[in-house]
Amino acid sequence: MKMHLVPKPLGYAVMAVMAFLYLFPLLYLFNVSVKPELEFLVDPVGIVKHVLFSNYPDAWKQGNFGQLIGNSVFYTAAAVGLSVLISALAAFPISRGYVGWASFLYVFFMISIFLPNNLVPQWNLIHSLGLYNTRLGFVLVNTGIGLGFMLMAGYMKSIPKELDEAASIDGSSYSRFVLTIILPLIKPVLATSAILQAIGVWNNIIGATVYLSDKKLYPIVLGLFKFYGQYSNQWTLIAAALVIVASPLLLLYLFLQRYIIEGAMTGAVKS
Amino acid sequence: MYPFGKSWSRLSPYWFLLPALLIYIIFSFGPSVFTIIYSFTDITAVQGTKWQFIGWDNYKEFFQSGRTPVYYAALKRTLIFAAAVTGIQTALGLFIAIVINTKLRGHMFFRSLIFLPVVLGVTVFGLVWTLMLNPLDGPVQKIWELFGSSSTFLGSPDLAFPLTIFIQIWGALGYTVVIFLAGLQSIPGDLYEAGRIDGAKAWQSFAHITWPMLAPTVTVNLLLAIVGSLQTYEVIFILTPNNPYTSVLGYEVYLAAFGSNAGVSLRQGFASTVAVLQFGLVLVVALIAQFYLRRREVQM
Repeated sequence: MKMHLVPKPLGYAVMAVMAFLYLFPLLYLFNVSVKPELEFLVDPVGIVKHVLFSNYPDAWKQGNFGQLIGNSVFYTAAAVGLSVLISALAAFPISRGYVGWASFLYVFFMISIFLPNNLVPQWNLIHSLGLYNTRLGFVLVNTGIGLGFMLMAGYMKSIPKELDEAASIDGSSYSRFVLTIILPLIKPVLATSAILQAIGVWNNIIGATVYLSDKKLYPIVLGLFKFYGQYSNQWTLIAAALVIVASPLLLLYLFLQRYIIEGAMTGAVKS
Repeated sequence: MYPFGKSWSRLSPYWFLLPALLIYIIFSFGPSVFTIIYSFTDITAVQGTKWQFIGWDNYKEFFQSGRTPVYYAALKRTLIFAAAVTGIQTALGLFIAIVINTKLRGHMFFRSLIFLPVVLGVTVFGLVWTLMLNPLDGPVQKIWELFGSSSTFLGSPDLAFPLTIFIQIWGALGYTVVIFLAGLQSIPGDLYEAGRIDGAKAWQSFAHITWPMLAPTVTVNLLLAIVGSLQTYEVIFILTPNNPYTSVLGYEVYLAAFGSNAGVSLRQGFASTVAVLQFGLVLVVALIAQFYLRRREVQM
């Protein structure tokens, strides 16, 4: 049913203004990215007259973006895969009370969002483990229990306990039951958790700044930021770099937007 | 009751719990606790140098030293940042969610568009806005010129900070909208139908149906925004690095511990002190907000 809390014309007006506020920066970015540098210097705002795509291969080469995007894909896949797996394995016994102190453990995991900023001791820890400026170190600091754990625990509560008993009567062990029955059952919430965490890991620029010093190990967001620092006034080149970095995300978003947005919706409502 | 056998097999759930517990304690919880211990030391980022406990010296330095005005300014800015972001983002987010929920033509595209910055990430949209705000004839400058004015924007002492607030909201608004949409869609349509039959006007429907039914969603959004905006500094990190006019507590922690200012030793002990004070602030504000919001929910 339609609810008209807002009159139609006002609704359209709001949508138009906001759409402009969100679309214009992107269109302007694209416009700059296909401008010859000289044209940008003379007329930065006007619509491009001589379309030039060479900014793209230039930026790609000078920024070494192929490797950086590869790095980001690796960090995100590894940290998200590991986090989702350990969160699910821990969420099940806690939501079922199969371990002692289950409700204490639940709260213990959940307070992670309130705890003091742990960057400084964490940095020293990573240093003393010899993991500073390594792929493994960066994956580990991005791995953890977060919103996903809470979502999974909530979802698992809705799976009837009789299922556990039936599996046990059929002779299934605990590990087999969790790995072959529970994990496939909670696929939707695994996907939601993975998406939410992937956004965080991919965009973790502070962590990358603090934990990585070798250019070859940079994730794309840090590489992009350094690229901007290096070519600070060549905006045509930077704009092309931004489009290069944004495109795969845009494409992914185009195909997965339903899952991403609905994931964010369920993520919030459950918490 | 645990149905999967006794003795050794009773331990299986504990084995499954262990990896998460270890990683959480070692890399997250432990370091958080150590932040408090660090805050009483003069430890630096230089590996292998001696450090010692110095009692409350770091705290005294925060509250009474030559740099104290700088920290007070950062503290004040943190509060302004959090209040502005929380207030505007929540109010605007609710309004836009209601507009989208009216299901006008193009609302799905609009919803995707407004959520897009969340997917693109702060580095990408931060740099896009740096381009937009380019003081040398950028598009925003052109608009300013229409009013016979000009500004250096992110380099301006007056405008840089409000602009970081604007860009923070621009980037995160989509998330708030989506959460409100989920809340709005969980309100049964019958209620509005009943209201309409009773002759409720749009405003009355909002005041007596939408607003009370949405109370838990408002709580979630407000708490997320408060906790997030008191801690975040990515937008400031990207848009105005090393700018004394935009720094907030979170960024001061980063600068003291890892900042690359030449000549300044990287004082991790002091950085930890700022982190602990920030934690205290988040805790107090979040607890008060939680208490007030939950009570409000019950009353509705």
